[in-house]
Amino acid sequence: MTTVVEKPLAPGIRNEPGGPSKAVLALALFESRRLLTRIPVLLAFAVYLGWTVWRAGRAWGDYPALQDADRATQNAPMLVGLAVLLSVNQAALRSRRHDTERHFAVLLLPHWCRTVAHALSVVAAALVTAVCVAGQFGWEALRPGAIGQGSVGELLVGPLTVLLSGLAGLLMAGLVRSVIAAPLLVVFGLFLFAFFSGTSDDASRWLLPAVVEATSNTLPSDLMGRPAGWHALYLAGLALTLGLVAVLVAGGRKPAVLAGTAGALAMTLVGGVAQSGGDSPQLVKARERATVHPEQVQSCVRRDGSTYCAFPEWGPRVGDWAAVVDRVRSLAGGGAHEQDVVVRQRVEARYGLSGDGALTPLERPHEVTVGTQWGGNRVPEFSAAVAGVLIAGDEKAATSICDARIIPLMWLAVGWASEPLDALRRVRLDDSITGSALVLQPTDGLSMTAAQTEVLRALLDLPRGEAGARVKDRWRELTAPKVTAARAAALLDLPAPDGEDKCL
Amino acid sequence: MTPTVSASGLSLRYGGTRALDDVSLRLTPGVTGLLGPNGAGKTTLLRVLATALPADRGAFTVLGHDPGTARGRQEVRRRLGYLPQTPGFHPDFTAFEFVDYVAILKEMTDRGVRHREVRRVLDEVGLADVRGKRIRKLSGGMRQRVALGAALVGEPGFLVLDEPTVGLDPEQRMRFRELIAGAGEGRTVLLSTHQTEDVAMLCHRVIVMAAGRVRFEGTPAELTARAAGRVWSSTERDPGAKAGWRTGTGTFRNVGAPPPGAELLEPTLEDGYLLTLDDAGAEVAA
Repeated sequence: MTTVVEKPLAPGIRNEPGGPSKAVLALALFESRRLLTRIPVLLAFAVYLGWTVWRAGRAWGDYPALQDADRATQNAPMLVGLAVLLSVNQAALRSRRHDTERHFAVLLLPHWCRTVAHALSVVAAALVTAVCVAGQFGWEALRPGAIGQGSVGELLVGPLTVLLSGLAGLLMAGLVRSVIAAPLLVVFGLFLFAFFSGTSDDASRWLLPAVVEATSNTLPSDLMGRPAGWHALYLAGLALTLGLVAVLVAGGRKPAVLAGTAGALAMTLVGGVAQSGGDSPQLVKARERATVHPEQVQSCVRRDGSTYCAFPEWGPRVGDWAAVVDRVRSLAGGGAHEQDVVVRQRVEARYGLSGDGALTPLERPHEVTVGTQWGGNRVPEFSAAVAGVLIAGDEKAATSICDARIIPLMWLAVGWASEPLDALRRVRLDDSITGSALVLQPTDGLSMTAAQTEVLRALLDLPRGEAGARVKDRWRELTAPKVTAARAAALLDLPAPDGEDKCL
Repeated sequence: MTPTVSASGLSLRYGGTRALDDVSLRLTPGVTGLLGPNGAGKTTLLRVLATALPADRGAFTVLGHDPGTARGRQEVRRRLGYLPQTPGFHPDFTAFEFVDYVAILKEMTDRGVRHREVRRVLDEVGLADVRGKRIRKLSGGMRQRVALGAALVGEPGFLVLDEPTVGLDPEQRMRFRELIAGAGEGRTVLLSTHQTEDVAMLCHRVIVMAAGRVRFEGTPAELTARAAGRVWSSTERDPGAKAGWRTGTGTFRNVGAPPPGAELLEPTLEDGYLLTLDDAGAEVAA
């Protein structure tokens, strides 16, 4: 009689199985590597990173407000999400597509465990997205002049969108055994996104993964009113629900999976209901106060005789504002050269982020509005507002100027810049440096005629010192009301303008 | 000898068809051939033994484990290597990835150990040079070897091979015979095939199935011996023969009940197989 002995293991090979949990983890690593090296996913990440880097390069002149920078991380991951959705769907269907199920059915790990591994591979893609989001936000936070604070809830939206999309693709593979279903799901998802993005209904638009705001109004972070935390809970709950239902559909009807599904559904409901609650009465009051009586929530500092009042998060920006005020005043003549101003930060917060941010000019003497955004075009715009107050006495009067005072005003606004013509182009609504145009500033715009533009251009063509001396010499006449552009040109010893001298 | 696989009374019906009918068998280490015509129930038997299909009736054990229980089934699967008929592949996987994937599904979780094992089986089936190649770029024979590698990974004690040489050219078939012979050293291999040559060259035992039943179980020599005195040569085809064909020499080789004085020939395994099937057919008809 002989005894049956299994073939001895090859030297160095240990065939002790690690159990289903370890096998699921090993398979998840395998599937993660495959998912992250799929061409659509690689392309999506490349486009995402390229777009982020390009955008960061373009925004070099802007000073980030981190309560806006966090939302800026939400849209691009949707592209990654779509790629992950399609790729996970294909991966989950490959056993059926290539008829390997007959073989794999007699291996140790059942179908539902393979579904869990696919779900975990989506988590890996979401984690990579989280790293990208952290990098993008970290870059903004480390840039000079960054203020405010981001929300963890907002930052989670990108990775959760990828998670949600991938798990939707996984569930789709369990429900519909056709590879055409996932592309159709993508089309349907894009349709839903377009439909709900266009709606003004606050509750329904929060059903989408990323909730885009129509305007670029920057608010203090405590006035944002976006239920980011609840939304992240809603997305996480929804993603978990889809993933666990996919496991159930694959045959994983275990008590823990059923309990997890119930818990995930509860999370979705709690997050979904809480996020649709709208603005609280306290928030509405706080926004009203910040808009109408900003002085009640601001702190002020004095620099060289001028006063700078800012919302708490903008304290570090006072130095930048003061530098502009000093440069503008340095070019002014007469009493304006020594005139102290009050720089008041203002915001239209009553309509939340969907408001257009339009501010009315102040009527208090020598008080200048500065907005909540800074850098880029916002600098010459603020400079024009300071110049307007130095010349007209207050903002309201400055916006009414319809004579040659606009010439010294614009000289003060852009004359100190390293590239005055570029500053002039950026501060005019139509980006022109000839003809008539509207000049932008934090409140209502200023109007420049074609003739005034001509004279200013001629002035800017002079050496800076000489131009400054001529303006200061004729300061009183140039800042008197009802002076024509032709007269201003004569006062400045410049050629008479040919263009029209009629306000817009 | 203690059998690796012991089955008794296995029965399975597909609708009105009796795919397995009271099948009992014992498999011991070495290669056992499973012969039978199309529809004999070979693939069904292999799928039942591989735990892919449950039998309606009967019981069996593999290496002492009863697949009738969930735990026993897992233990059987842990010790099983299965190469299905016309196996599917993931074409965008490399040979290494495919076998690695199967190894994970066999719960080989230690990455280093698993990768060494995958390299070992790919070496064993002669695919070391192409392990990084995508399966869609491999020839049919190479793909079949990938599938054999996947079945061999993890050193299974019981290997089930369902017509592994179908569609292979003679050279590839020879290569595969070497592999199967190697695989049968120290482990139990059940090889389903239509090729009696494969059985004659590889197997220490042979089972013949027809109409869902085991018609013969024994050694190839015993199967061949069934035809002793029942194969003869003649100048014309003998109308009394069960089967007869003209050979390369121009004479007829007849199988059946020889007429008195017939020139008897040395029987082959194929002759024994044909007569076993013929006897089975007569039994079914009766």
